[in-house]
Amino acid sequence: MILLFAGLFVLGVYTVVYAFDLFDYKLASLPISDFSSGLANFVKNVEKGTLSVATVTILVLLAVLGLLWFIAELRPTAPRRVRMGSGTYVTRGVVEEEVSTVAEQVTGVLGSSVGVKAKRSPGAQVDLEARVRRGEDLKTINSNLRSTVQEQLSEKGLPVSKLKIKLVEADPRQTKARVQ
Amino acid sequence: MAALATEGVYSLGHGRFVEPATYEGSEKVSGVVVGPDDIEIHIVARYPLPRPIPEIAEKIRERVAPEAGGRKTRVVVDDLEVAEDESL
Repeated sequence: MILLFAGLFVLGVYTVVYAFDLFDYKLASLPISDFSSGLANFVKNVEKGTLSVATVTILVLLAVLGLLWFIAELRPTAPRRVRMGSGTYVTRGVVEEEVSTVAEQVTGVLGSSVGVKAKRSPGAQVDLEARVRRGEDLKTINSNLRSTVQEQLSEKGLPVSKLKIKLVEADPRQTKARVQ
Repeated sequence: MAALATEGVYSLGHGRFVEPATYEGSEKVSGVVVGPDDIEIHIVARYPLPRPIPEIAEKIRERVAPEAGGRKTRVVVDDLEVAEDESL
């Protein structure tokens, strides 16, 4: 990023120097006549309406892309904090910490990683990845994990509107706990 | 002070990227942002929680209400502090 800014700064200095014919540097001396005449021809063709189908297609695609970008920019950003009720918020870190603690208390879970997204409506969207030993009964662990996390979090008043659980079979030597 | 005296509040929060604070004269109160229409109180909750977070928030609101001058109070839980850490 610093390099980009440095490059833009140098380009700006050159532009000013050439634009005002400073230090014997003249804009006319730059080899841009081909580029400028090509651009002039393109603009003339646009005015006359004699563009090729490929050029029109590219221009329409660019316009659609620009419109989509504009709409995406208009969309409000996701809130940073998880809304609990009227006037009460918790940071995503608090929810992450709590979900992780609860998940690692469930039998069979050796480690976890949690992602929390705040939503405009009350409650957080929680993506929980739990690491388990190979050969474990994934269905039972999944159901235990879901009920425990939802129960414990609702006891503490932390609302979870959506809970996604992914169980990953992992080598116990690489997990937070080896036995659970 | 009213928020700090509430059960379940470990300390006032210091935010994550920007420190929430109110400046009055030469004094600075961290963890509280007083606006014209609302007050935002950032707290660090004591863990294990003595009661659910919404109840702690409600207690803070009740305690702060006499000083709030009719402003709407928002409570933000910035972090959890594990009780065992105090003895370290």
